[in-house]
Amino acid sequence: MVLTIDWELVLFLVFSVVEVACAILTVTSKRLVRAAFWLFLTLVTISGIYILLRAEFVALIQILVYAGAVPVLLLFGIMLTRRKMLEEGETPEAK
Amino acid sequence: MTGSLLTPSLVGLCRSLTEILLGIVKALFDALSLPGVGSWFVSPGVVVFFTYLIACLVMVIWAMLINLLTMLWVERKLYSRIQDRYGIMLSFPWPWSKRYKRGITNMGWGFLQNVADGVKLLQKENMTPATADKLLFHAAPALLVSSTVMVFAVFPFSENFYYAKVSLGVLFILAALSIGPFSIILAGYSANNKYTLIGGLRAAAMMLSYEIPMILCVIAVVVLNGTLDPFEMVAIQERPLMGTILPSWNVFSPPQMLGFVIFFIAIVAELERIPFDIPEADAELVEGWTTEYSGMRFGFLYGFKWLRQFAASGLLVVLFLGGWNGPIIATPELLGYPIPILPQEFWLLIKIYVVAMIITWISWSIPRVRADQVLKIGWSRLIPLALLTILGAAVFKTMGWF
Amino acid sequence: MAEFWVNMGPQHPMTHGLWNLRIKVDGETIVDAEPILGYLHRGVEKISEVREFQKVIVLTDRLCYVSSITWSHAYCLAVEELMGIEIPERAKYLRVISLEIQRIASHLMWLAAYGADIGLLTMLLYALRERELFLDLIEIMAGLRLNSNYMRVGGVRNDVPADFEKSCQKVITHFRKKLDDYQDMMENSKTFLMRTQDVGKLSKEDAINWGVTGPNLRGSGSNVDLRRTIPYEVYDQISWEPAVEKECDCYARSIVRMREMRESCNIVLDALKKMPPGMCRMKPPRRAEGEAFRVTEDSRGEALFYVAGDGDDRPYRVKIRSPIFCTLGAVPQMMRGHKVADVVTIMGSIDICVGEIDK
Repeated sequence: MVLTIDWELVLFLVFSVVEVACAILTVTSKRLVRAAFWLFLTLVTISGIYILLRAEFVALIQILVYAGAVPVLLLFGIMLTRRKMLEEGETPEAK
Repeated sequence: MTGSLLTPSLVGLCRSLTEILLGIVKALFDALSLPGVGSWFVSPGVVVFFTYLIACLVMVIWAMLINLLTMLWVERKLYSRIQDRYGIMLSFPWPWSKRYKRGITNMGWGFLQNVADGVKLLQKENMTPATADKLLFHAAPALLVSSTVMVFAVFPFSENFYYAKVSLGVLFILAALSIGPFSIILAGYSANNKYTLIGGLRAAAMMLSYEIPMILCVIAVVVLNGTLDPFEMVAIQERPLMGTILPSWNVFSPPQMLGFVIFFIAIVAELERIPFDIPEADAELVEGWTTEYSGMRFGFLYGFKWLRQFAASGLLVVLFLGGWNGPIIATPELLGYPIPILPQEFWLLIKIYVVAMIITWISWSIPRVRADQVLKIGWSRLIPLALLTILGAAVFKTMGWF
Repeated sequence: MAEFWVNMGPQHPMTHGLWNLRIKVDGETIVDAEPILGYLHRGVEKISEVREFQKVIVLTDRLCYVSSITWSHAYCLAVEELMGIEIPERAKYLRVISLEIQRIASHLMWLAAYGADIGLLTMLLYALRERELFLDLIEIMAGLRLNSNYMRVGGVRNDVPADFEKSCQKVITHFRKKLDDYQDMMENSKTFLMRTQDVGKLSKEDAINWGVTGPNLRGSGSNVDLRRTIPYEVYDQISWEPAVEKECDCYARSIVRMREMRESCNIVLDALKKMPPGMCRMKPPRRAEGEAFRVTEDSRGEALFYVAGDGDDRPYRVKIRSPIFCTLGAVPQMMRGHKVADVVTIMGSIDICVGEIDK
């Protein structure tokens, strides 16, 4: 067996499978913060596919702008609008 | 000034090393009369794989083991001396010294103290809070650590000491450093603790708002130099400065002087050092977003602050202070061969450590700025000045000055 | 964002001592505050009913462990008025010297803790380094550094050695230079001014209404220093000036304390020059009857001791009034409208010592 593996194809398959799985998890996840995490992973693997397509600049901008800022924006939106989550961890008031 | 220690590149050296090692493995398999397997080991694909693997190991050991420890040691000794005390002094005396016979280990250089602290953190219990979100709790330190170490994949320590020569190196470093805020929010949220949540949100808000002036200053430098490649940037800064023997470092041009100061302040805020320390050692929040972490996870989150300091100072030096150039453009010659005054790696490391020492000095002399004042400084003062820098750089470039 | 209560303490690195501060936050702004005390209650007032008059000094030393000589001194003054005795002149001068050295040490401890709270961690080590010199002076006088057990009903425990004046001179000359440095460090640091100016305002009327005394009151513009208005010991024979500042914020209170340290240095040197020879202690009567109260200027404000005796050799009742206990009532008002990060600044500028609050 001669190992002439087409590494590009392997990488592309790996990235695609991970990306589609993370995207599905993003949409179907019951916990919002986990959805943000899966979104982050989706965007990072998309940037990997960009590198395979020889578009390095777009890949780096994808990480800088999308993966670095959009999930953070999503998390800020969650934290600043949900009262319930902050009260989950509240200590009982001392009487 | 023009020589570097690794004469072919790092990858070239590692290639020679792997060829030797794999040759030994091939000889072993030939002795076992399995020539097919042996020749597979020296096939080009395997050699390339092992070359890059060993180069990666060397780079990680250099960056993490050697430079992180040295950076920690420099910081702790420096701020102890500012506070009028000796500082860390744990050391292992040489086996032939009198101190060794008496077993004295606490009166020396102190370099081993950080190793000791690391070992102490390794053997502590890794506790996870029962109500924490386990996936995110475990993923956040991994994200932070991996994004910091990624910087060293493209960071060149000299003309020949690099792992990968990427033509978009500066952008790669900025992208790697921008994953920080996300992992901090994850860490703060997943511990299910009101204080860490507040700390994480504040930290992310601060880091995001100071990334903007940072990137704007980088844009100004790129406008002036016309390239994102760190190698070309350093080569541009190696030319003489308008006829003098000084090299034309980017910091010597007027718009870049302002850009240097703004970039420096933005870095200090990105690294959560003390003037902008609100997310972390705020007296209200104990350790801020890292409170619930214990054991080596905490060691990573805490220690990698200094690795990020090394990476950010490295970026500052490459962009503004001329990278691995010495301060004078003059190469002494002996019998026709140029003699470097110091190899290029040393110049770069000296500059990085000087910048790191200045950051430490400022850190331990100034009180903490309040959270809303931090954001006010970032948005209303630094961003307009950074935009001014870009304008100045564009003007200088079109007029052909500098 | 919702309004919710946040507990700062009882286990907390910021709180100087063991108490709980509950603040109601709306996002980043403080809406209300409620201090909860009592974690350090040791029953000093009750225990002193079963100990003889001299033996209560051990308890009053530990009321405020940072500034212990001033509290024992207040107790001794009350008991001496109860017994109706007059102590020798030299004892009065020795008392004044030890009080002022203790005041400097207490203010240096405040400076160290305040620096650490604000984030200027180097100030912690610098101020503690200077405090060591003054603790050494107290050790020369009394034998102990912290809870020094130096006061006695009837004078002080022992006289000072012959070269004490020279030691004091050396320490104070060195300290004056350093104090100039530290005041410079505080006044010229834009970050410090940003943190402390216009934060924690307490107007003069509010301070008087809430019963705030001491440097906190003098930082609000009211020139009341008990060493001047109701002079005790020999404060009326030594030349010094109280420190008063007009703005009522944290910065003013900090400057008041720095200036007080300077004045204390002057008082110590002046008292050393004017000290007459004589006895340092007299033997008080064993039993006492009646009631008496005395009020003194502690490092943190007015300390009041009320001692009642019923003819026995133990007090019948000892009542202590602590200045910071009353100041804590004004704290919610000082904090409303500020951000959470200002809690530390405000609490630090009040200079809390929980030992005297909880007794």
